[in-house]
Order: sequence, then structure tokens, then C-alpha cells
Amino acid sequence: MNVRKSLSIAVGCILGGFAAAASAHHAATMFDREQTVELSGEIVEFQWTSPHVWIQINVEDESGEVVEWSVEGSVPNRLYRAGWRPTTFRPGDRVTIQGAPMRNGAPAALFVGARLADGSTLGRFE
Amino acid sequence: MTGSRRLSGSSLLRAKAWALFAVAAAMPAPTVSLAQIPEAAALPDWSGVWQMNSNTVFDQATVDPPGGSSNAPGTREYPPYNEEWEAKYAANRERVRSGEFPDPITTCGTPAGFPRMMNLPAGIEFIVKPEQVWIITEDGPNIMRIYTDGRSHPAPEDRWPTYSGESVGHWEDDTLVFQTISLKGDGDTILDRTGLVLSTEARIVTRLRRLEDDLMEAQFTIEDPEALTGPWHVVKQYRKLEPGARMIEFACAENNRNPVDTAGRTLTLDREGNVLDDL
Repeated sequence: MNVRKSLSIAVGCILGGFAAAASAHHAATMFDREQTVELSGEIVEFQWTSPHVWIQINVEDESGEVVEWSVEGSVPNRLYRAGWRPTTFRPGDRVTIQGAPMRNGAPAALFVGARLADGSTLGRFE
Repeated sequence: MTGSRRLSGSSLLRAKAWALFAVAAAMPAPTVSLAQIPEAAALPDWSGVWQMNSNTVFDQATVDPPGGSSNAPGTREYPPYNEEWEAKYAANRERVRSGEFPDPITTCGTPAGFPRMMNLPAGIEFIVKPEQVWIITEDGPNIMRIYTDGRSHPAPEDRWPTYSGESVGHWEDDTLVFQTISLKGDGDTILDRTGLVLSTEARIVTRLRRLEDDLMEAQFTIEDPEALTGPWHVVKQYRKLEPGARMIEFACAENNRNPVDTAGRTLTLDREGNVLDDL
């Protein structure tokens, strides 16, 4: 799979731990908001659903293996009002997502920000 | 001809009416006086979609640290808890810190309840009718009915703790004043994710009014003889969203990838339903 770059947990802490996807549904203690993971890759699926949206993205790790990450976002009612749409992420889009990773190193994160396929940014992308 | 006799249409109606009267006569006398129902034209216009203008810390006036998030372990508020319930709150906060204080609504099975439904981050509507006011939230969803037709609370044997409780109210000029009792408490509902809880003895008087065109204010006076040493006053405000804003469906069970396990941990599932927490 031709996924550009890269999983860069090594550059964690670049955002100082802000996670924009405050949850209306569950506590987010499984995510480490003091860390930031940057995920660059290809969108597999965008689940525009309650109680949370999920961005599925294929990312190539440092050993060259493609890993599917699950990025949890807020909820459609709030995201719609913030400008998101069900088509904000489309399968095949190449994007970069920044998020707070799970504490145990599992391939999942809480959404903080993204740079979309057209170069625009979403959320708090730094 | 048998012993029974056929009833004509009008006789049948009269018989049904008498049957209904007999049933009604056996019920407690109604407490509603129609004369107390306000005229619709005299009621304020609270139409539109509103949204809380703060984060989801319930008591913004006492939150520590100032501006703290209810999702950040260590955040607390200072209700006038008695010693026993302060200890209970401390234990809850410790469970928040360890990730073992599940939010009751995470199961997607029950409403947030009152007063927490006034402390949710999404859309909220205030539907004013002469005989009732409805408060409807997107998240949950939650529906609360406040009877303003002059009735009293049901007798103690006719009510029991529920998520949204039992509310009756009246209008004082443009302010809706209502009292809520029969609320579920600790174990079933929370006020926010710092671990704030009340008991089933809580009685809440809410004063709800429109301060400005685009600003609603709710003043809560909470009394709870089991948990609090005195009244707890909390104020929350709500901004009106843009004209034409619509309420958006929130169907919690649609795709809940954060179930709660038997230990109270909120899990995270991958797209296939595998638990990511145990990797």
C-alpha cells in the first residue's frame, strides 16, 4: 500500500496535550492528553455516527507495516455545528491527523486536529 | 330473547360514559384547576435551539482549578456536602483518576437525568405550552416535563425515583419556577464527570428565564438533607444558536465503541469490535 509517511509517536508532546474532542458520552481517561501522535496516511472509513464519529486511517509504521488506526472524535450534532460534514473524510483521502494516543500504545487516538486532502485544516492542527 | 339486551348506539355511549365516570370517581380527586393555566399569549417566547455556554463542569462558581474540565482527573467543585458525602465525592474522584468511574450514560441505555440534562454540551430546547414546559436535549436524548397547570406533586405512594424526576411549576412574570423531586441519585445518575452525585432525597427549585434575546439562565437551588449541609446554589446559562438552527438526532446506541466492562472501565473498540485496552 502506498501510504506516504508515517507514524511519529516520537514527536509526541508537540501540542502540549490539548484534545478538542471533549466527549458527551464517556470519560476519556484511556487517552493520554499529554501526548500527541501524528498520523499520516489514507482514510479507510469515516463513521459519521453517534455517540462518536470514528476516523479509520491506514498508517505505515516505522517497520513498514501498515496499521489501521481508529481516531475517535466528538459527535455529529456538535461537529456539524463546527463545520464538519459526513464527507469531511472520504475513503482514499490522504490526510494527517493529530490526536491524543491511548495510554497502552494501542492504535487508537482522540482527535485533536487534521490537515485534509485539500490542505485545509480542521480542529487544532499545529 | 336471552337475558342480555342489545344496546342502541346512544345507549352504548351512555353506558361507556357511566363506566368512565365510575372509574374516575374511584380515583383521587384531581388537583388541577383550569383557572390556573396561563394564557398562551402571556407566555414568553423561548423558541430556537440553545447551547450551554460553558464546559460540562456543573458548578462553574466553585470549580477547582478555575476553568477546569470535568474530563480532567483532579478537577473538583465544592458543593456543601456533609462529611459522609464529601468522602463519597473524594472516592468518586479517585475512581475518575484510575479510569474506573463510568459515566452512567456510557452504556447508551438511560437518560442523563435532571439536573445533569441542563449540563450537557449539545442542543437544548425549551418548549413553552400553557399547561406544560418541555425541556428536550439532543444528547441522551432527555425529555423533561414540567407541569404548569396548577397540579401538585403526586402523593408519595404515587411516585418513585426517576432519572428526570417529578416537576411542577408556575410562572412569575417571565420566569418559570419549578420544583423537581423523586430523582434517582448516586449510583444511577451523576451531575458531571468529576464524580458529583446527589441522593434520592434531593429537591431542586429551578428559576428559568430569558435574560437577553439570545441568553437563557437557569438558577438552581438544591437541597438534599442526606448529602448537603445547606442549600447549594448553581447558575448555568445557555446561548441561542443562529436563527433556523435545528436539533440533530443523537442515537447513542448507533455505534457505541466505548462499552463499560464489569470493573467499571470504559473500553475502546476497534472497527471489528476488538477491545484495544488489553493489547
